[in-house]
Parts: sequence; C-alpha cells; structure tokens
Amino acid sequence: MAGHATMRCGEFRTSYRADTTIFPTPMSRNFALGGVVVLLLAPLVLNAYYLNLLIQIGYYGIAALGLNILVGFTGQISLGHAAFFGFGAFASAWINNSFGIPVILSIPLAGLLTTAVGMIVGVPAGRIKGLYLAIATLASQFILEDFFARAEWFTGGSSGSLANSISLFGYQMGTDQRYFYVVLFFVVVMFLFGANLLRTRDGRAFVAVRDHYLSAEIMGINLTKYRILSFGISSFYAGIGGALYGHYLGFVSAEGFTILLSIQFLGMVIIGGLGSVMGALLGTTFMVLLPEVMTSLVGTVGDLLPGLSQGVAYIKQMAIGLAIILFLIFEPDGLAHRWKMIKAYWKLYPFSY
Amino acid sequence: MNKRVIPTAMAAALAGLVAGPAFAADMINVGHLAAYTGPTSDVGKPYGQGIADAMNYINANGGVGGRQIQFETVDYSYNAPQAIATYKRWMASNPNVPVAIQGWGTADTEALVKFVSNDKVFFMSASYSGHLTDPMGKSERTKAAAPYNFFYGPSYSDGCRGVVQWASEDWKAKGSAGKPKFVHMGDNHPYPNAPKEACAAYAEELGFEVLNPIVYSLKPGDFKAQCLSLKESGANYAYLANTSGSNISLVKSCATVGVDTQFISNVWGWDENAQAAAGDAGYGVAWVVGAAGWSSDAPGMETVRAVSKVSDPSGNEARPLHYMRAVCGVFFMRDAMLAAEKMDGGVTGTNIKAAMEQMTDHVPAELEGVCLPSTWTPEDHRGTNQVLVYKSTPNGFENVYTATLERRSEWLGW
Repeated sequence: MAGHATMRCGEFRTSYRADTTIFPTPMSRNFALGGVVVLLLAPLVLNAYYLNLLIQIGYYGIAALGLNILVGFTGQISLGHAAFFGFGAFASAWINNSFGIPVILSIPLAGLLTTAVGMIVGVPAGRIKGLYLAIATLASQFILEDFFARAEWFTGGSSGSLANSISLFGYQMGTDQRYFYVVLFFVVVMFLFGANLLRTRDGRAFVAVRDHYLSAEIMGINLTKYRILSFGISSFYAGIGGALYGHYLGFVSAEGFTILLSIQFLGMVIIGGLGSVMGALLGTTFMVLLPEVMTSLVGTVGDLLPGLSQGVAYIKQMAIGLAIILFLIFEPDGLAHRWKMIKAYWKLYPFSY
Repeated sequence: MNKRVIPTAMAAALAGLVAGPAFAADMINVGHLAAYTGPTSDVGKPYGQGIADAMNYINANGGVGGRQIQFETVDYSYNAPQAIATYKRWMASNPNVPVAIQGWGTADTEALVKFVSNDKVFFMSASYSGHLTDPMGKSERTKAAAPYNFFYGPSYSDGCRGVVQWASEDWKAKGSAGKPKFVHMGDNHPYPNAPKEACAAYAEELGFEVLNPIVYSLKPGDFKAQCLSLKESGANYAYLANTSGSNISLVKSCATVGVDTQFISNVWGWDENAQAAAGDAGYGVAWVVGAAGWSSDAPGMETVRAVSKVSDPSGNEARPLHYMRAVCGVFFMRDAMLAAEKMDGGVTGTNIKAAMEQMTDHVPAELEGVCLPSTWTPEDHRGTNQVLVYKSTPNGFENVYTATLERRSEWLGW
C-alpha cells in the first residue's frame, strides 16, 4: 500500500500476495531488520538515560499502535486509552502479586484482561459515533480512574501497588540494559502483529468501517462486531504497553493514568500519522523526545536568560500542545507521511514532478 | 522540517548531558525531591526552599566535615510515578549515586520504601506517615518494614492523636454534655489517609463518636457541598488531613455555609500563609506545629535566619513554619553524616541510618530551641512523641496544648 507510488525501477508485483507483504519493498524489510539488529547492540553503548528513553518509546509505542488501530484504521475515537494502559499495568502487577504467576506470563495475561475491559467499554461504540463516542470513552476514563483509586484488592487503592521486575530463568531483568531487551521483544512482536493484522480480512474490514461505514455494512461487514473488536485489540495493545511500564517502574499508581496521558496518546498517533503502523512509533518517539529536547534547550538558553530555567515545566507542557497544533496545520498526515515524501524526493531526484 | 530539528535537538540534549554537574570524589551526593508544582505546592515551596537553603548554607560553612553536599533538586509535581522514575535515574547515575535523599510526599515515600531499603539509601521524607516508623516490621499493622526511612517530627498518626487529645480536653473545659463527634476529612490519597484509622481508633478510645469520613480534594476548590455534609453530620471536631491550600478553601467555604465545627489539622494543614488567606474564617483552627515559628526568639533562630539569607539576601522574607522543619531535617541529616564519617566505610546510607538510630534527645547544636529533641532507635523510628498544638487567633498563633504521647508498641508503624 504504502510504497506504490515510489517503487524503484524493476520492483513490481504480479500477485495479490506480493502486493500485501508486511514490508512494501525488500529494502524497507532490510532496513527494519537492520534497525532491530542495531537496537540489539544499543545497551552495549548507550547509558541509562538514553536506554530509559528508548524503553519509554517502546512501551508507549505499543500502546500508541493500539490507539492507531482504533482511531487510524477503524475510524473510532477513544479518550480513555490511558485508563486501559493503566488497567494493564495494575492487572499485570495484580496477577503477579496475588497468584505468583511469573511476570513474563502476567504481561500477556494482563493484555487479555484489558481486552475484556476494552470490549465492554467498546459496546457503546456499536451504537454511537463521533463526538458521542468521544464522550462515552471519556466516561470510561473517569470510571476506571476512580476504580483504580478505590479497588484496594486490585490496585492497592490510592497508595498504588508494587510491581516486581521480570526474571527469566532465574536471571533478573531489572536493570535498564536488560529490560530494554524485554521491551524490544514485545515491540517487535506487537508491531509485526499490527502490520499483519492489516493484511487480514479483519484488518480490511476495519479500514472499510473507517472509510464509509454505510458502504461497509452494505457489503456485509458487521459494524458492531468490528467496532467492538477494534476496541478489544486496541485495549490489548494498551494493556501490554501498560504492563511493561508497570514492571519497568516497579510501582503502579492511579496518578499516572490521567486524561492527560490519553490526550498524549492521541497526540502520538496524530503526530505520527493516523493509519500508519510506523507512524505510531514515529509519533511516540517525537512525543517522548520533545520534552527532553526542550529541557536541554532551555538549559542551554537558560544560561543566557536565567529567568527561563525556572519555567522548564511549563515550557515542556506548552511545547507538546504547540507541536500538536503545528502538526494539525502543517502536516495533518503526520510524520509517516513526511517520511514518505522525503523518500520519494530522493528516489525521484532529479526528476520529481 | 522535523527531520532536521530532531538530530540537532538530540545533539543539544547530548551536549546538555555532558555538561552536567561535575563529579568530585569528595562530595556527598544527596537527592532532593520537591513539590514546587502540583496539589501540595502551597507547602512544598517553603519546605523545598528550606531544604535547598540549609544544604547550601552547610556547604558555605565548611560542609559536612569539610566535604561538600552535592544535591540535585527535582520538582516532581507530587506525581508518585515521576518520583520513582527520578529515583531510578539517580540510582543509575553512577558514580553520582546519592547516599541520602530528602524526599517529600507520602505516596512516593511509601512507594519507595522497598527500593531504598534494597539500595540502602538513607531517606528523610517530609511525609510523617506512621507507616514509616517501623524499621524492623515488628508490628502486625506494618505492611512493609521501613529500615531506611526517617522524618523529623511527630508522625501524622501521633500528631492527629495529639490534637484529638486537645479536643478531648477542650470538650471538657467547655463543659459540654454528651459524646463529642469526630470526623476525618481529606482526599482519597495516601497522605490524608495515613492517620485515618489510627486516629479514629484513638478518638473512640477517648470517648468520641467517630463519624464517616468526608472526602474533599487536595486541589483547592469550592467545598460547599462537603461543608453542608459536615454541617448535617453535626460533628464537633473535624480533622483536616489535606495541606493548607485545600484547607483554606474548605474553611472559607464552611464559613459561608455557616458551619460552627472546631477544625483541627495536621502539621501541613495550617500556616501563616493560610491564616493570611483565610482571614476571619481561619481563626480558631487548632493544628500541630513541629518547630519554632519565624518570629520566635529561640537561640537557634539566628542560624535559621542565616540559612534564609541564602535565598533571600535582604532577610525581609518571613518564612512559614514548614521552612523551619525543613532546616531541622537537613541538620539532623548533617549530624548523622558527621557521625557516619567516623564509622567503617564512611558516609554510606547504612552508616547514616546507624548514626541516626544512635541519637537520643538530640537537637542539632546550632538549632537549639528550634527543633524538637528527637530519638531514633533501631526498633523505633518515631523521632518524637511530643505534639505541640497551636491555635490561630487574631493575635497570632498560640500554643494551647502540648501532648506527650505514649510510645505504645501497637502504635508502631500505624
């Protein structure tokens, strides 16, 4: 789909199968593989600060891809993604603490539990859409947040709960260097699954629902089923991302999963590019790095203007808002689209038209 | 355009990192978690300033036995996950790993208990939660032993017990008939919740009728609905467990609604700023005070005024009560570090902890009359059991009662 307009000379497809490969071109596949190999080596060279940022990009990226499946591919809206992210974090800690199930298994189990919750919340989506759906999901955000603060048995109530770090074969994965590999594993699996999903019948149904729900229904697509399924899959991603976050931090508390994080997730998919698997990762990278970059820029400029360093917290928050507005105006298709344009520029050079 | 911005910006980030604080082997690394923003910033600002000023003052006056304290202040906005993330960053910042941390809130301090005991980091919090007082985990109430946690002042539970004791005396003195009614008010958050059960149990013991708690937000707002519930409940004494910013709103809302309940509060619940903001509505509030006030003429106030000049060279700024407690906290830590220096291994988290646990009725030398004499033992981290109850009046703050609580073993960690 993605690379059609910009395929190299000599690259062509003769079958539908070849037209729906996970990676549009062999080149892009090699780049992705190369990227993973480079990342495998990252813990050897990078310090904890950069690894921490990469880990953040990993678990937020998984959750953002989930939201992108819901918003970008199925055309629904959710203002409650952070609550599902949090639910996954609490669920994984709860499964591990109460039943002694190893963390590496409790993470996917938490994903499944979150899926169940997501599908329940998605039920209204079968009937309502647009702004009304936005408000319905907003309600689920608040219901879940309140649940987190009160369900002592599940979340530890307002004091939160501790999440153990992962141990594999008696090997503690608590440090950033080791946890990085855990997150990388989940990122690769979840993104491959996400890219694959869109090649399937269900994935095409999602896109059909997004593009024109009436036409989709006339073609025999069960709208209610696919809308709810989309909520389920999106929540599964959020749950996995949240669980990874919880076990990384070692502590889960309700304060971390407010509406602000939900909006940030929306920001990630909008900045990255709605309806793009790679866009979810690009958008997350942008959103995670932006505050860090702002901090260091302010630090540099702060030496010249001493008053500025006092306001770092505000500048960070404002920069995120500003970035979203600028993207909506200048690049509504997101970073993924921009990336395609850059690729096209080089491929067509000097005869771009 | 973004493709170009990111690499440049990342380069800038890298540059910023490399140019970070210079490392020196003879420095003592301390982490400082502050809440300059967020729902508790009203009291977090003066306290955090006190911590920073005191450490800078110590550095300017010979340091800790000649060694400078190198500290990083992080404003975590009262967001527990952010405090944990900051802690993890500090622990990974080899070789600048802090041996001690000056922390802030209850949620984050309690969440960090296991982390600091695993990493053996001395942790002095501004949270006086009773849950932090049991270093060995002996009490059955204790969820997790907190061997490395310390705080200066009576625990929240003891503080609340102290004001309840005063309330009981007050009830008798007024000659009122019947059972007085007590109600706990606060947000559903670890800090207001910390003394809830312990204090209610003690109030019952003293003959109070304990009503259902009333929830009001830590963030200031319009609390008339809560005030109406309070009025309806007929409570005689309402314990305000939030910080002063939220309490100002509550006291004012309740004055509008016409509540005549006696408000009692904890150590963070009232101060000079709160009284100034609340005006007439604030008179009569009785609460716990943990150190001398700014206008006190105690000999140690000389030092506090000198400390204050670190951030206010003019010396004009009147510091609220929390500032003095912050200064006390840092000087107790300094004394423990001085003692730790003479031990095997020098200034490590474990040695600072051991030195703290040897203190008996200790007051830092320069702060005579400012800080309460404090005692910590390896089995008991209730630094003091003395609760000074003050009342806000039009003529200023008056010490109306001093409760000396028993050190009951079943109260440990509760």
